[in-house]
Order: sequence, then C-alpha cells, then structure tokens
Amino acid sequence: MNPALALKLLWRDWRSGELTLLLASLIVAVSTVTTITLFVDRLQQALVRESASFLAADLVIASSGTISAEILQDATARGLQRAETLEFLSMVFAADRAQFASVKAVNTAYPLRGKLIVADEPFVQGRVSEGGPKVGEIWLESRLLPALGVQAGDMLEIGVANLKVGKVLIKEPDRGGGFNSVGPRVLMNMADVAGTDVVQPGSRLSYRYLFAGDRESLADFSVWVKPQLDEDARLFGVKDGTERIGSALARAERFLLLGGLLGVLLAGVAIALSAQRYSLRHYDHVAIMKTLGASPGNIDSLFLVIFVTVGLFSTLVGSVIGFGAQSLIASILAPFIPIELPSPGWRPIWLGLVTGMVCLLSFALPPLLKLRATEPARVIRRDLAPTNLNDRLTYGAALLGTIGLMWWYSQDLWLTGLLFSGGAVAVAVLGVVAYALLRSSRALGMQAGSAWRLALAGMQRRGQENTLQILVFGLAIMLLLILFLVRTALIDEWQAQIPADAPNHFALNIAPRDVEPIAAMLSANQINSQPLYPMIRGRISVVNGVPAKDYDDARERQQAQASEAQRDDGPRSNSGRNLTWSATLPAENEIVAGDWWPADYQGEAMVSLEEELANSNGLLVGDELEFTIQGRGLKARVASIRTVSWDNMQPNFYIIFSPGALVDFPSTFMTSFYLSRDQKLFLNDLIRAHPTMTVIEVDAIIEQIQTIISQVTLAIELVLVLIMVAGGMVLLASIQASMDERFQQHAILRTLGASQRLVMGSLVIEFCMLGLFAGVLATLGAEITVFALQTQVFNLSYAPNPLLWLMGPMIGALLIGTIGTVATRKVVRTSPTIVLRDLT
Amino acid sequence: MAATSKVMIKTVNLGKTVVTSEGNLTILRGIDIEIKQSESVAIVGASGSGKTTLLSLLAGLDTPTGGEIYLGGEEITAFDEEQRAMMRGKMVGFVFQTFQLLGSLTAIENVMLPAELKRDPQAESKGRELLKRVGLEHRMHHYPRQLSGGEQQRVAIARAFASSAEILFADEPTGNLDSATGGTIIDLIFELNREFGTTLVLVTHDLRLAERCDRAIQIASGELVADILECPMDARSGLSG
Repeated sequence: MNPALALKLLWRDWRSGELTLLLASLIVAVSTVTTITLFVDRLQQALVRESASFLAADLVIASSGTISAEILQDATARGLQRAETLEFLSMVFAADRAQFASVKAVNTAYPLRGKLIVADEPFVQGRVSEGGPKVGEIWLESRLLPALGVQAGDMLEIGVANLKVGKVLIKEPDRGGGFNSVGPRVLMNMADVAGTDVVQPGSRLSYRYLFAGDRESLADFSVWVKPQLDEDARLFGVKDGTERIGSALARAERFLLLGGLLGVLLAGVAIALSAQRYSLRHYDHVAIMKTLGASPGNIDSLFLVIFVTVGLFSTLVGSVIGFGAQSLIASILAPFIPIELPSPGWRPIWLGLVTGMVCLLSFALPPLLKLRATEPARVIRRDLAPTNLNDRLTYGAALLGTIGLMWWYSQDLWLTGLLFSGGAVAVAVLGVVAYALLRSSRALGMQAGSAWRLALAGMQRRGQENTLQILVFGLAIMLLLILFLVRTALIDEWQAQIPADAPNHFALNIAPRDVEPIAAMLSANQINSQPLYPMIRGRISVVNGVPAKDYDDARERQQAQASEAQRDDGPRSNSGRNLTWSATLPAENEIVAGDWWPADYQGEAMVSLEEELANSNGLLVGDELEFTIQGRGLKARVASIRTVSWDNMQPNFYIIFSPGALVDFPSTFMTSFYLSRDQKLFLNDLIRAHPTMTVIEVDAIIEQIQTIISQVTLAIELVLVLIMVAGGMVLLASIQASMDERFQQHAILRTLGASQRLVMGSLVIEFCMLGLFAGVLATLGAEITVFALQTQVFNLSYAPNPLLWLMGPMIGALLIGTIGTVATRKVVRTSPTIVLRDLT
Repeated sequence: MAATSKVMIKTVNLGKTVVTSEGNLTILRGIDIEIKQSESVAIVGASGSGKTTLLSLLAGLDTPTGGEIYLGGEEITAFDEEQRAMMRGKMVGFVFQTFQLLGSLTAIENVMLPAELKRDPQAESKGRELLKRVGLEHRMHHYPRQLSGGEQQRVAIARAFASSAEILFADEPTGNLDSATGGTIIDLIFELNREFGTTLVLVTHDLRLAERCDRAIQIASGELVADILECPMDARSGLSG
C-alpha cells in the first residue's frame, strides 16, 4: 500500500472532521494519563523527600561508635551528600541551675533533608534557619530557657566548655529518634564536642551518618555498605525508618498506583469506543475501496499507517498537554500543598508515550481489524456487516494490552491479577444484569405516557448496544466509586491511627515511691494519661540451655532459607530490653500462639513474647528462656506469642512476664500522656518535682506524622479528581458513539411530526434510565471490588456501605442524564432534512 | 457485434444459495451466460428476482455457492479475496444507484482514488480530464454533500472510467434520479462506454433503458428466463457492425 495515499486519506479524513472524535479522545486520554503519571510521580517524590526529613536524610547509618572512613569516602565518591550527628546525654549548667539534656552535635552540612526552625524567644512559631549552630554557640529547646533561667546571649557550660546561647530551637527535622533523645534538646556544633571533654571511652554515644542523593546511587550504596557494617550499626531509609510513615506511604503509593491504573483503563475504554465509531463510519469507505481494487492487505496497511500516525501525533500532543496540565495544577495547588514538588522526571513522559501507543494499538486494533473483513458487496447491500473475524484473536490484543499495561504500571502481578479477574467477572455478571434490567423495563414502558414509551421502546430496540452502554457507564461509575470508597477508608484508617489526643510524651524511670504522686499530679492538671507499667531492664541470656548468642547462630544456620532482611532487621533475642509484668493482656495486643495466663495466676515464671521477636529468633511456645536482670538470672517458660500494635503511641513491650515473676527485682515504672502545646511548661514542674524521672517527648514526631498524612490525603484527593475527568470523558465518548443512530431515529420521528419536546423528553428519560441501571451495576461491582481490595491489597477492614445503594443509582441517573442530554441536544436542534440528506 | 469478439464474461451453471433461519434459500440457479467485449447488456427483472446478486457475482464482489465465472478468460471463482481485489482494480469499474462516493473526499479526490490505489502518478491529471469530460470541471473541489444527485452520479461515472476498466458494472444507475437527470446520466454512460470501448453490464428494471443495450437478460425467481439478443438499439448504435 502506498503510504502517501494513507497520509492523504488521513489528511482528508481530518479535514472532513471524521477523525476529530478519535483524535480528541486519544489526546484527552493520553494527556489525562500523562498528567496523572507526572503529577503522581512528582507527589510521590515529594512525599518521600518530605518523609526523608524525619531522618534529615534519605539514608542513615546509626551506630554507637564511629564507622570506617572508607565507607564515608565511598559515599562521597558516589556523589552522595553527607552529614554527621552525635547524640549524648549531659548536664547543662547555667549560673545557678542545672538541667539534664539530650545534646546533639551536628556538622555544617546538617540537615540534608527538612529544615531547622528557630526563633529568638521561646514558645513561638519560628523561622527556617540555614544550617545549624556556629562554633561556640548552642541552641536550646524552648522549655530549657525558663528551666535554666537563661536567654539568648547568656553563657552555659557543657562539660568543661563554655558556650553562648544562640537561638531557640523550635523544631528539628529528625527529632524523636527514639530512646536516645531523652530530655530537652540542646544543639551544638560538632567542632565544639572535643572541647567539652564529655565524650570519654565508655560514654553512651549515638552516632548518625546521614546520606542524601539520587535514588540509584542510594540504592547501590545501600547494597554495598550493608555487609561492611559492624553488628551494632544499623542502616535504614525513609520507608523503614519509621514504621508508621512507612506503611502510610506504601498504602498511599498503592492507591496512587491504583488510580493511575484505573486512569489507563478508562482511557482505553474511551479509545476503544471512539475507534469503534471511526471503524463503523468507515465500513462503507472500505467497501468502496475494495470495489475499486483494494485488497484486505491494502486495507490493513492503509489503516495501520493512519492509526499509527494518529497515535503518534495524539500521543505527542497529549504528552505536551499533560505536561502543561500537571505544571498548571501544581502551580495552582502550590499554596495548598505544604511541600515543594521536585521537577518532573523523564520517566513519566516516556511512560505516557508508551501507554498512549499501547492503549491505541490494543484497544483500537479490534475495530481496526474488523475493517479488513468488510464485504465489498456492501456497496450494493448496505445491511452486510463485516463478517466476524476470529473475536478471540482480535479481543486478545485488548486483553493482552490491558494486562501488560497494568503489570508494567504496578510491577505487581497479584494486584494486576486481582483487578483484572475482578474486572472480567464484573463485566460478565454486570452484562447479564444490565440485559435483565433492560428487559424488565418493557412492562413499564407499555403502560406509560408517550415520551416514556418512546424512550423505553428505544432502549429495547437497541438492546445489545444499550447493554454495552450501560456496562461502560456502569464500569466508569464503578471505578470512580471504588476510588472514592478506598480513599475514604484509607484516610479514616490513618486518622484513626493517631487520634488528636494520642499520648505524645513518655515518662520513664519512675521510682515506685513516685508512682502515686505522679498519678495525682497528672490527674490534678487534667492530663489524659495511660496506666503506670512497671519496667525492668534485662536481656535473654540462655535459650533451652544454649547461650542466646549461639542459639541465634544455630538458628541462622537452620533457617538458611530465611530472608536476608529478616536476619538483619529482626530484633535480636540477646539485646537489652525493657521488661514488664501484667496480669491482663494489654489493649490492642493479640495472642497468635499459646495462651495468656489467667488473671489470678501465681505459678512458675512465664513470659509472653512479641511475634516478630519470637519469629526472627526462632523462639516457640514452651521454650525455656533464662534472663539476666540486674546481674541475676531468672528462668521463665514461653507461654504465648502475641502481636503488638506499635502504632498506638502507648507503652508497648516485647517481653511481658506473668504476675509475681519479677517481684524480687526492684523496678521502675513508666507511663505515657498527652500534652497540648500550651501545656508544655507542665513538664518543667513535673521534672522539678520528680528529678529522677525521664520524659521522652514525641509530640514533634506525631505532629510530623499528622502533616504527612494530611499531605498524602490531599494527593489522593487530587488524583481522584483527575480520574473523574477521565471517567467523564469515557461517558462522553460512549454517548458520542451512539450519536449517528440517535440522529437518524430522531430525524425520522421529527419528520413524522414528533415535537422537539417529545424527542427531548424521550432522550432525558432514556439517559436517566441508562444512568440508573448503570448506577445499580456500579454499586454492586464497587462493593465487591472494594471488599477484595481492602482485605487483600490495603489490609484494611471492610464494612458495607448501605448509603451507596441509594447514592450510586442516583448519581448514575443524574450524571448520565445530564451529560447525555447536554451532549445530544444537537440531535434535537439539527434540522431533520440535513440529517436525512447526510445519511443517504 | 463482431462474431470474433473476445468473450469478456462467461458463467457456467452459476448458483447462489444462502442459509437463513428458515432453511436454505436459493437466490440464483443454473445461470449460463456469455458477454462479449464491448457488448452492452441489461440484466432485467422484478424486485427480488436476483438480478443484483447476479451483478455482484459477475463483478467479483460476492462469491457463488455453485458454478464458475470467467472474467477476461480467467476463472475468478477460484480466486481468494486478495486476487479478486486485484482483478477488480485492473478490469472492473462500477456505477451504483446510491452513488457510493466517499463523503470525506472532494469530487476530484473521489475520481483520483482508483488510480491512486494503483499508485498511478497520472492520477490527478486523469481525474481532472474525466471530471471535465462529465461536465464538472467547476465542481472539482466540492464534497459529495454539496453536489446534487445527478452531479454525484456524474462524479461516480468519472471515477468508474478513471481505472481504465474493461468492464463497467452499473446497478440501477438512474434509480435515485428524476427522469430528466436519469436520461442525461444514461446518455453519458453510453457515450463514455462507446468512447472507451468498455463492456457494459447494467442492472435495471426500466425496460426503456434496457432497450438501449445490445442485449437484455431477464431473470425471474433466480433463473434466466430470456436472453434477448436482438435489441432495437443495435442498428442505431452501430456497435454490432
């Protein structure tokens, strides 16, 4: 076939408007996909970067000693940025007062991610500071200033060094780094540490080496550095740094991914519909060309050239529009998104281009291939439809394309399989239901007024087409409902995870004699607190007669198949841990093996282990453990293994003893409580009254988690809006596809004397009924899919949505009724003479 | 008609049966005809007699269920769709009752199409020439919907001759036209047919039109009932000489 002729035909098709709908739907589809992909990619990057501010880096090596210079040199050689911090506990002395503080020394590069917020006076909002304290200067957390009775410019002593109070530290990005950050924060320059003489052999120190850079370099560095690290060094990144953020981010990513996938599917449906219409309108053309000597092969290559050219053009234009649209959205939303979006990468553009072409070829190919089978005798007998090609072959392209794209997008075969098989079952079941609904409207139609009769008779007459249309409408609405429901469930779950009054302070080292007075003080100040738990430091030393260290090695050998991650990251059995005892199972703990002891149990010592600790160390119910507590041994049998909800911000323990087991060991107590920003000064009173206790403040980290969650929520809502645009486009394409037939029928009706009002009325009724049926289908499909998604993909609990059964059909009727009526107004307005002449 | 003229179209025991919900339906049965080069033949018969089916079989638009068809001495019943398409492009031109112009193409573009399909570099000049010949040089860049029925049929006639076809098939070419316009169109077809020396096969139920042909073949209920060789037009047209 002559490609020049194909291009000429393409140009002539374009000029005569034949291509406008296909081209428009392709461009809109590709630009929607590109917009979503680009925007989601930028948001994801931004969210990861924002979350990185929790670590003040992308990657951290935490260690109790310094790490080898070789590691640091390697990081530099890979082009990674570096910073270092050192934390230790020390007394800080003012002229006449002293305060125990958590000192953090930082070098000039700190922080690599996130910002330091400082002020000139305590308890204010503060401003961003570039870099940390200068040499010779220290910054204090707000409540330290009244506690020490100092202000900016005064001198303080740390160890033997005299340092000047510079600024007030309002917020540091990586605050809340665990139990090392006990006490109020003092920030100083790394260069001043040597002068304090505080760091001595045996001091309890916490070094953090911070790294930031591009994804690939970081990933390569991680792989390389892992085996180089000492046993007590720990490597972690954004996703495993904080479990809570990690799971929120992973779910958000899955949601955005799901959104992108559904966007691609909606775009595919729109392309398939408009390609179908293009083909329908070209059967006659092909028949004529065949009579003039064009062979099926000629027709194939002719339309392939046309489709590929259209595809390339619209994909390029769509990508450019998508690029512009996401920039526009980003700039419009900039004031509402509290994070800075990084510039878009090339990958999403490439993804958009490939998506567009694959969509076009897999969704547009079946109708295209049907063109070749057009009977030339159609020029004489117009009723001759193209003989059916092997449908399994033609629709196989669409199925393969869909599955391929879904897999490529999600990199997740399970999610792809679930969505695809769910979709296939939905199409089959919903198709049958749609047809049954259509048939059921017959009885109604026969008794009704004339506009109703016209509308319902029309629906019956085009039974097959309308079943398809209800299915398409239903699927589009279903996808939107699914996204909406999953989004609502995700956001509810996140917000429930950290309620506004979740405990944000932990009090440790409470002496038994202080238990009563502290409880009284908390209640007198109306502070919401948890029960006081006893707490003893200890470690597992022997397991079933084997020293814990050796038992650990033996287990590693036995479980050679266990994953690298499990062995490296699981909590070690022989590390020091906080032990407690309890008669009752703590709230939000769940027994997974063995039994919890009776509330009045007084027998031999038993323990209950946290699941991950037990699994990663091969500990089972019935094992005999020997603990070393305060230099003495204690034997106890494992009675149960339980899961712990680490997210709930309440005192949680890896190891819980049975009542009475620890009675011979002096213990301290701990609790957690909630303090609002205004109540922070209460801490000074509390610590002054009970100077031996330790308070860990996690309010900053909770605030950061809540910020991240609100940002992720916003991102999800934005994506939902974009998908709704794609869904609306499918509805329009579907209505457009039925336009020719509607034009013809209504022209005939008008010629026979039907009023505009009657024709319009029948259109409104028809579309509302189609929408109503589609809404019923969508609700049914959405309930089933959301059940599967929430229980299998997002690990959320599922609850049915009775309101949906009212909303779904109503939304369907209103949406389709409105879009359909507006889109087909032309049918009523165009003169029947013009319509009938164009048809001949 | 020269006795030595080459046989352009020949059928042997041609039949067409289709399967319907009520069983097999025979549309054509045992048709044997021979049409010579430059001959003009009318296929006449009542509605539903099978004449249009016969035309589509002869033109290779449809395939028979029995018998053989020879076009220019070649048996086309053995051809696949690819070969039939090639044969149509090389030998056959069409004029239809419903004109069958491509709505997205202008008059000149419609006329150029057969030559363009054959990658003929002269497509445009030939097209212009033919449009001028049918009197539409002032309508070259008009779309079909901007033309009257008669004008559209003239474009279709120009297109039929643009492929340098040896056989012209016309299916009720005046069926959609008023009698005056129809008359003009018929005159044009016969004029061009004479000029290009084409073999003309015309389906019609208009006996006056049939009378202008060299022969008329009458079909009734799918069977050939009469082959009238002595048309009064023969002497006047001088084609049989």
